[in-house]
Amino acid sequence: MTYALTSGAGDKRGPRRRRAGRSEGRAGLLFALPWMTALILFTFVPLLLTFIFAQMKFQITGPPKWIGWDNYEAMLIDSAVWVSAKNSAIYAIVSVPLKLVLALGLALLLNRATSLSGFYRTVFYLPFLMPAVAGSIVFILLLSPGAGPINLILEALGFSPPYWLKDPNAALWTLVLISLWPLGVETLVFLGGLQNIPQDVSEAADLDSSRAWHKLVWITIPLITPMILFNLVIGVISSFQVFTQALVIGGTTGAPAESTLMYMVVLYRAAFRYFNVGFAAAMATVLFLFVLLLTLLIFRSARSWVYYEGESR
Amino acid sequence: MAYPVFAKPKALDRRGFLKGTAASAAAMIALPAFAQTKGELLLWLPGGSDLFCNIHTGLLTDWAAKNNGLTASETVCGLGQDTAFNQALIGAITGGTPPDMSLLWDAPVSLGTQGAFLALDDMMAKSIISADTWPGGLLASCQFKGQTFGLPVTAGIYSMWYNEELFESKGIKSDRASFPKTWDEMRALSKEFTLWEGDDLKVAGFMPPRIPESLAIWSALNGGKLFDAANSKYTLDSEQNIDMFNYFVDWLNEEYKGDINLVDRAGSFMDGYANPSTGQPSAFREGRIAGIESGSWLQGDIYDPAPTFTRWNLAQFPYGPGGTASVSGVWPNWFVIPANSLNPQAAFDYLTYLSTEGAAIWFSQIPDIPTNSQVKLVPPATLIEKRGEDFANDATAFYSEQAKIVAPMWDSPVQGFGNDQIRLAIEKIYTKAATPKDALAEAQMASQAELERVMAG
Repeated sequence: MTYALTSGAGDKRGPRRRRAGRSEGRAGLLFALPWMTALILFTFVPLLLTFIFAQMKFQITGPPKWIGWDNYEAMLIDSAVWVSAKNSAIYAIVSVPLKLVLALGLALLLNRATSLSGFYRTVFYLPFLMPAVAGSIVFILLLSPGAGPINLILEALGFSPPYWLKDPNAALWTLVLISLWPLGVETLVFLGGLQNIPQDVSEAADLDSSRAWHKLVWITIPLITPMILFNLVIGVISSFQVFTQALVIGGTTGAPAESTLMYMVVLYRAAFRYFNVGFAAAMATVLFLFVLLLTLLIFRSARSWVYYEGESR
Repeated sequence: MAYPVFAKPKALDRRGFLKGTAASAAAMIALPAFAQTKGELLLWLPGGSDLFCNIHTGLLTDWAAKNNGLTASETVCGLGQDTAFNQALIGAITGGTPPDMSLLWDAPVSLGTQGAFLALDDMMAKSIISADTWPGGLLASCQFKGQTFGLPVTAGIYSMWYNEELFESKGIKSDRASFPKTWDEMRALSKEFTLWEGDDLKVAGFMPPRIPESLAIWSALNGGKLFDAANSKYTLDSEQNIDMFNYFVDWLNEEYKGDINLVDRAGSFMDGYANPSTGQPSAFREGRIAGIESGSWLQGDIYDPAPTFTRWNLAQFPYGPGGTASVSGVWPNWFVIPANSLNPQAAFDYLTYLSTEGAAIWFSQIPDIPTNSQVKLVPPATLIEKRGEDFANDATAFYSEQAKIVAPMWDSPVQGFGNDQIRLAIEKIYTKAATPKDALAEAQMASQAELERVMAG
């Protein structure tokens, strides 16, 4: 395909077009201005202030005082920061791959055309619509050692169920289990990818190999790697930011015995319970940089395992 | 055929659109959230029942009506307890729209030492509620380094509560004088009631204490303290406190199979309330535990829902091996005046009224004990109705005496942080995640470091 190029120098309509173009550009900018203003005021400025407050002792009620790197040094010797970082890392390392595998499995099942496909898709998406606070309370009640129906059923079946959220050795794993409940978005993303796999590729694979497993590994998964990348990046970011479930279930101390204490909960309680804004800002800065680095690493690695249609390898 | 001619609607041009957008945004930003003015008193309450909120609204409105030039804003009741309320209050103070006064279910010194509340000493000295009209221990919980940041208007006073009928069913004397005087006596008596069916706890005697907010009482009962306000020092890992927890863990092991989760699985044994997480009803109201620690507020709350028995009674806390006498403690209903209140003197005048005449009216309807010595206590109507005048008078006199022996508590500039550390230590100790010595040492180190950071200025 060729494009006709016009010479601006020899075209009398050129300056008028350029003026019109500039005018359109200005109009576009003006239309974008409210959004840009909000982005600057409510995202960039707070981000900048976070970096600045991280260098200050700021108790909200008094004037901030410049203290340099002291907040970062305090982070290094604060045991709650280390405990929460460890808990958050375990949570991310376990929950993200599990979520990806389960969401993909669910998407593969939902991709089968049946008369109830629409119903199942709706049902599996519904948990995502429930507010995290309500969902967490439901799980607290379900898993209550005394009166919770899950333990009552397990006991009736002859099992000796754990204390779930009350046992320091079990609570974090229970939190991971709870995180697997709302898989709607990840599943939908995978489902979109599965439905975009060209029919001819799928049929050719069916002719080449009768094994469904081979088709999944060599055809389906490579073709949906962009969706895997998307779900992985979003999953990693959100897992390090897990907050609501952890706060509702473990409170500000990560009960029982700090086993559910997450990094964001420590950050929140520093800012809004102890009013130590400088320390919280330092924690937010470290988290921002860490997640940014992790995301960049994932994108860097994606060059070797993500396949985009039309791309030659 | 003639067609009607309609005026062409004027298109909204880009400039007009942007102007409109800008004007709307400016209006939204400029609209004041509060229209409170000088002379209009605004009171904030963290929450409470409708009755509680209505009493406060009524008291303020009546008082303002009798004072020329003052009006009462609608009382803001129920902004959330603890962290949520403190956030809202600090937000209002720093945002320049504070209430004139606020009830605080927390330590006034925590935010007071950071400049959020007015020091009331000068105003108190010139008023009828000078420092000498308050029980020293209670006023001390509002003071730090010679400044008073709040008024202990009424208090929930802690004591032991016990089920007389359960005592008598075991042939045990149920009068107050016969109640155990020491932890050893209480622990021995507890065994008389405790009944297990397999791993199911049916009935309990008394429980090893584990409420963070009242731990200062148990520490004092064993001759210790959690925080030394005079020397600005936490003492969580003192010998007395380590011994105290070793005693409680030993008790848990001996009587409750060493498993606090097994106890929790069986019911809500900790205080006189249902478990807020699981909805399990209060074991005390069900008649499944002989005695608990609770506060004077339970005198009203215990009838909603009503217990399965009629005769409950109150007793002093038994003291531990390291202690020599009983002490009590409080849940604060302390009032503060934000530093940038529009009407500080009027707010203080109202709090003077509330501490004296107002507190008596408050107590007649809700059993929070007025603490100022000028208040003549008339027992709450509910208590008279449920238990008769003699018992109500006796209970009121009992709490008046308890108010005189409160242990120092709610007096740390980092009260919230310290309480969190105590809560964590208790969890670790009772779930056997750490020994008392290690858990308390960790809590001590964290709390002292936070105190020093905040006090460093």
